[in-house]
Amino acid sequence: MSKILQLHFSFWLAALVFCLTNQNIYGQGTGAGLTIKGRITASSDNQPIIGATITEIDNEQRIINGATADLEGNFVLKVANPSNRIAATYIGYKRVVQQIGDRTTINIKLEVSSNELSEVGVVARRTVSNGLLQVEERNSTVGVASINARELEELSSSSIDQALQGRLPGIDIAANSGDPGAGMQIRIRGTSTINGSSDPLIVVDGMPYETEIPSDFNFGTADDQGYAALLNIAPSDIEEISVLKDAAATAVWGSRASNGVLLIKTKRGRVGKPMVTYTLRGTMSKQPNAIPMLTGDQFSMLIPEAVMNRNGTPLNTEIVKEFLYDPSDPYYYYNYGNNTNWIDEITQIGYKQDHNISLSGGGEKAKYYASVGYLGEVGTTLNTGLKRISTRINLDYDVSDRIRFRTDIAYTHTDNDKNYATNVRGIAYDKMPNMGVYQYDLQGNNTGLYLSPLSNIQGEYPGTYNPLAMLNGATNNVINERIVPKFNLQYDFIPELFSTTFDVQFDIDNTKNKSFLPQFATGRPINEDVVNRAYDGDVDRFGIQTKTNLLFTPKLGEKHELVGIVSFLTSDNKTTSFQELTSNSASPNLQDPASASRVRSLSSNFSQGRSVALLANAQYSLLDRYIINAAIRGDGNSKFGPANRYALFPSISTRWRVSGESFMQQFTFINDLSLRASYGQSGRAPGGNYSFYNIYSNFAYDYLGSPSIYPQNIELSTLKWETVTGKNVGLNLVLFNNRFDFDLDIYRMRTTDLFFDNLQLPGISGYSNIDMNVGTMDNQGWEINIGGTPYKSRDWTVDFNFNISRNVNIIREISEFYPREKGNATANGQYKTFLQENTPFGSFFGYRYKGVYTDAEATIARDKDNNSIIGPDGQSVFMRFNYPFTDYVFQAGDAIYEDINHDGNINYMDIVYLGNGNPKFTGGFGPTLTYKSRLKLTAFFNFRTKYQVVNGTQMNTTNMYGYDNQSTAVLRRWMNPGDITDIPRALWNSGYNWLGSDRYVEDASFIRLRAITLRYNLGKGLMERAKLKSASVYVTGENLLTFTNYTGQDPEVSTRGTDPFRVAIDNSMTPPTRNIVLGLTVGF
Amino acid sequence: MAKKIIYTFLLSFLLLASASCDKYLDLKPQDGIVRQEFWQTKEQLAAAVNGCYASLLNSSLAEKLFLYGELRADMIQPAIGVSSAELNIINVNIESTNAITNWAPFYTTINYCNTVINFAPQVLESDNTLTQNQLNAYVGEALALRALMYFYLVRSFGDVPLKLSPTASDTDDVQIPKSTQAEIFAQIVKDLKLAEEYVVTTYGNRDQNKGRITKYAVNAMLADVYLWLNDYNSSLTECNKIINAGQFGLVAGDNDWFSTIFYQGGSNESIFEIYFNANQLNPFYGMFASSVRRYRAALKVGEEIYTTDLIDPTNRDIRGNGAALQMNDNSIWKYQGINSSAARSSADSYAHWMVYRYADILLMKAEALNQLGQGQAALDIIDTVRERANALPATARTPNPTDKNEITNYLLEERAREFAFEGKRWYDLLRNARRDNYDRIDLLLDIVSTTASPENQQSAITKYRDIRSHYFPIYDYELQTNKKLIQNPFYQ
Repeated sequence: MSKILQLHFSFWLAALVFCLTNQNIYGQGTGAGLTIKGRITASSDNQPIIGATITEIDNEQRIINGATADLEGNFVLKVANPSNRIAATYIGYKRVVQQIGDRTTINIKLEVSSNELSEVGVVARRTVSNGLLQVEERNSTVGVASINARELEELSSSSIDQALQGRLPGIDIAANSGDPGAGMQIRIRGTSTINGSSDPLIVVDGMPYETEIPSDFNFGTADDQGYAALLNIAPSDIEEISVLKDAAATAVWGSRASNGVLLIKTKRGRVGKPMVTYTLRGTMSKQPNAIPMLTGDQFSMLIPEAVMNRNGTPLNTEIVKEFLYDPSDPYYYYNYGNNTNWIDEITQIGYKQDHNISLSGGGEKAKYYASVGYLGEVGTTLNTGLKRISTRINLDYDVSDRIRFRTDIAYTHTDNDKNYATNVRGIAYDKMPNMGVYQYDLQGNNTGLYLSPLSNIQGEYPGTYNPLAMLNGATNNVINERIVPKFNLQYDFIPELFSTTFDVQFDIDNTKNKSFLPQFATGRPINEDVVNRAYDGDVDRFGIQTKTNLLFTPKLGEKHELVGIVSFLTSDNKTTSFQELTSNSASPNLQDPASASRVRSLSSNFSQGRSVALLANAQYSLLDRYIINAAIRGDGNSKFGPANRYALFPSISTRWRVSGESFMQQFTFINDLSLRASYGQSGRAPGGNYSFYNIYSNFAYDYLGSPSIYPQNIELSTLKWETVTGKNVGLNLVLFNNRFDFDLDIYRMRTTDLFFDNLQLPGISGYSNIDMNVGTMDNQGWEINIGGTPYKSRDWTVDFNFNISRNVNIIREISEFYPREKGNATANGQYKTFLQENTPFGSFFGYRYKGVYTDAEATIARDKDNNSIIGPDGQSVFMRFNYPFTDYVFQAGDAIYEDINHDGNINYMDIVYLGNGNPKFTGGFGPTLTYKSRLKLTAFFNFRTKYQVVNGTQMNTTNMYGYDNQSTAVLRRWMNPGDITDIPRALWNSGYNWLGSDRYVEDASFIRLRAITLRYNLGKGLMERAKLKSASVYVTGENLLTFTNYTGQDPEVSTRGTDPFRVAIDNSMTPPTRNIVLGLTVGF
Repeated sequence: MAKKIIYTFLLSFLLLASASCDKYLDLKPQDGIVRQEFWQTKEQLAAAVNGCYASLLNSSLAEKLFLYGELRADMIQPAIGVSSAELNIINVNIESTNAITNWAPFYTTINYCNTVINFAPQVLESDNTLTQNQLNAYVGEALALRALMYFYLVRSFGDVPLKLSPTASDTDDVQIPKSTQAEIFAQIVKDLKLAEEYVVTTYGNRDQNKGRITKYAVNAMLADVYLWLNDYNSSLTECNKIINAGQFGLVAGDNDWFSTIFYQGGSNESIFEIYFNANQLNPFYGMFASSVRRYRAALKVGEEIYTTDLIDPTNRDIRGNGAALQMNDNSIWKYQGINSSAARSSADSYAHWMVYRYADILLMKAEALNQLGQGQAALDIIDTVRERANALPATARTPNPTDKNEITNYLLEERAREFAFEGKRWYDLLRNARRDNYDRIDLLLDIVSTTASPENQQSAITKYRDIRSHYFPIYDYELQTNKKLIQNPFYQ
């Protein structure tokens, strides 16, 4: 354990022992022993209460002595000090406290406590928290959005981030894939960094929750996207989720919080009888219909035509036997004479069951919440699934009025079966449909084995393979064990004035990934190193985080309010990983890496990072109208060299409650009108550890039998904190008896000293790239949130909420060494992207598609006035592509690209702006109808509008360029002169019919009925008869309706990855499924 | 009392926080050694020098050693797996976007050498078992390797940036302009002279002697450099140093000749060769052997350079069929053969890369002698090399000993036979073409008819007439990242 923690601990123990012993001496010093007798009875029937507890408590409510009532309700209690009081408690009865005085016999009657008891005190105003300071929501100076988890529990999502989609303004959550266990991309107010992680910091119950995995761990064949944002917290354990957006709010969390903070509060026990709650959600999921593809027969007509079109030479089916269709050659006839729908072959109906049982309750001193959950999911792609067991125990114990402690322990086990190859679905789309699933032998008998030829005309692994063999044969299993114990101690030095809390959280997070690729999934010859390839990787992470808060709440009279906090935080994260990749085991049944014959790679890694922070934060309010919150945070991080290790980040925010001013009192319909403004900075540390050292490593091989060492990196001695400076102005308006509220925020987040990973370096340095601070980037935009209850009567309530936001991401300044463009406009399938200062990200450029040249006449080049262009030889010139370099002459049936400059030549000068992959507006809305608080109908829509997506699937399925299967759209392709169509001729491996053009660019705006739920709460009478405390059943439909003009599989396409040149391309990952959820919640 | 507690608490809190922070945050990696702790022992120094050699095994460097010497020459032809970048170079259609012109692998090795040259002297201070002579020997190896890399660069690009200090920190300047060819050569000669003084003549072990820089390897480099600089007397001196040392000889030209030199490696003939091994294969299997190979031998290699004895096929030039190539399918055999018929598997593709061998010294000497007007002595050496290899009479020539040009042609033909696919052909042609103010530019113009595709030949000849086109352009990426670079004149 780290040194500082030890110090911390010893200090704390000492302090604690001091406090306790001090009081003990104090407590025992006065008064002699005294014995009290008595009887405890119920006030209703005077019957003894067996097992009632009688305790002696001091003036801090600390228990000194205790006893239990016997079968007659009698008790004997030795009292240490007669000036203390005694308390009698029993579950289900109200607590009674009495002075002892000189009495030696005390009889106590207990009253039955009613159910309402635990609900007293709910009148308090709603509070929000920045994770450290709990302030009333109406006094919050910063942009915070909260959502009560009750609104989310009806969804089928296995992870809460899925459920949050579109619910909160300014938060854009997009699915990476619909496969079980796939992560989500969460962006709060856009992306504030180019290369670094853009995922927000997640804080669970006041302590940061690690979601990143070390970058050097590659999980074999899987991508880290799948892990990044998966939050393994059972949704039913969550009480509330808040999102801190503006910089003044995030500044208190410092490094990593610059992407925003997601605060999650889990449920805790409440005083009352034990309450058992069982929730069940059963979900059935179905994939939306796939894009219709050619059958084997249609495909076998297309290919010879495409080859013929190339240069007039027909396809030689004697060599290319895949299209021979000759019954006298049974091997090819049966194996390549099929009509296989590969997508159907790999798709299934998905099921999910989610059980959660929780027990909560508590008495005067102790409160508890414990839950156990099981989630079992079968994905819609064959052999994908997720199993999760999650448990949580949240304990609160009040030692006395001044000392309290809380212990939370959460354990999660996840077992995720993933696809070995991430592109199985893409391969299935492309796979030649005339191929069969199972192999026929030379005599034409079905062997029952998968048809996985070494290679065929379409190619070989990894370009193509048998998707069914891949899904059924290859495995890729990730097992994660995570235990997060957390301890919290609170001590009030001076009650109501000065208190302190100490938190320590351990995080044990072990992941094991095993995968295996059998020979029959690829068909490769046995001596190749992809055959029977086994991978086993382990990454064990251990984290310790501590937080020490000193909270100061002086009473300054009626007009003033001041809350101050000083917080000291440390974090220590260690990761060890071990990975082994071997191949060529003797049989596909020998799947352990140890049994394979060839070691491909073997690596182990240890890495450690630490950070400390000291924060001072205070909120002051005057006359309830003028509120100011200021904070300063000092950060230190081990990822920086000594020169730049520490940094200071200030923040300040204010709120003016206009409605509190006297001149506003006449507008009685206004409950609250406030203006907010904030400014704040927060710093981000880089991803890698030790980068400020020049590290010498071994080559993976020797030279002449001796070890060889080389300097592996450049020492980054100048790397400094990336700083996000946020400015925010906002407005809160609450009207008509709190029935309507309106929030508006306008912000600009400027990232300076932008981290740039892998900035290119000149080759003469001996290295190819370096991480540096370069440039400045802005995220700016606005958010509106409207909520209200437009109609309310005795029986009916109609609630409505709506949120919308817009964010723009702009580079203001960037290193001169950074390349400014990407993409080759003279190659098929590529779009051009540029990186320009003061222009938003995500724009892409290409040609304009104008249809198909119907005949040779149409390919004559024409100038601006539509006259044909005459060449030097006096003849009409035909349209050319990229003269003089490529100099392809367009033929009838080829794609027409608009000749923007009318020079008869399609080249880079004809490239125009085609779109931007970032949505203009995102948000959600939905009504809730409640009838007699028994029947409730909730609908929720989310939307993303005005963004352009490259329909990559359409591009790949209509290009007729290779041997990949094509969609049924190509049935209307150009075939003969005079054909008027929008699909060019089939042209195998030549021509320029699928250049990056607007043909594949589509507006992917959509509005989706994300969820609709009908919920019925059982009536009181019914519940009492069934001895239930609460019961409800509901049915939810998810993703039932999507309104969009997008023709691809699913319009929700996120720009994945960190490349600033990235274009939103839809390659038909497993799309979000349509789900029907049946749920049941019973409390007893 | 409460106040007392508060003060005690605050005080100890602040003390703890400030005192232990710096220590707490000071973490060092455990998977490697940081520079501050390296350069302490002579074992570390030896490993770092070995790292310079190991970097030569980087497949992108080995690939470029081949490509730079053969792509623009006439010994290879493209095969099915060839990339468009490679085709463009073959067709003399070279643009600065062509990734083949990325010189980074050379500078990576140069940086490792610079690191050794710069930091090695520190070891003397901490390790007193290291002698000055041992230190010099290690530094000499790094100097020679650095010179070799610059020699490749200067012959391929002309003017290049001369970086002599290591890049260790992000504060090191990597924006360096080009130095002239003359400056580069001056540095090369200076480094090699120093290396000659420093390095050992033997490491006491055959593989070490062949796989590491010895004094003879330095002499060989110097001979080559002087020949390029038209300093024939100096070149002759260096060649004679090697010949008179008596440590090397020609391997007998029998059926084992190919296997001895190229399969087993480390032969008596070898002066310096790069030792690939089973842990680090060379890139040649994919280039020459796989079904999607990138290159085959040019047609004329079998037909004209070696020729066949039609009457007695067993009477063959031992360097031709079954050694440099397989004539039946024109596959390049030098790096994939075990003997004349058996082939290496992909997992055994670790044939060494020959940098200098004795035959090269002999033929360099012949070239120097020819230029010094001793034509007959040159022809005698050529005959020695031919006899050893059983060169066929059809390839023999009888130039007049005073006809420098004819002897040059003969020498070039013999070098082509001797060093086929060893990455020397283009440099041999260019060295001879540029002599006497490009008197023999015809050497370059003549090969175009067999290299460039027909539609590119005319423009290729036009380009080659401009002597600035004989050097590669600077890769775009370098221009982008090094603002002090100026594109080479032909490509501006």
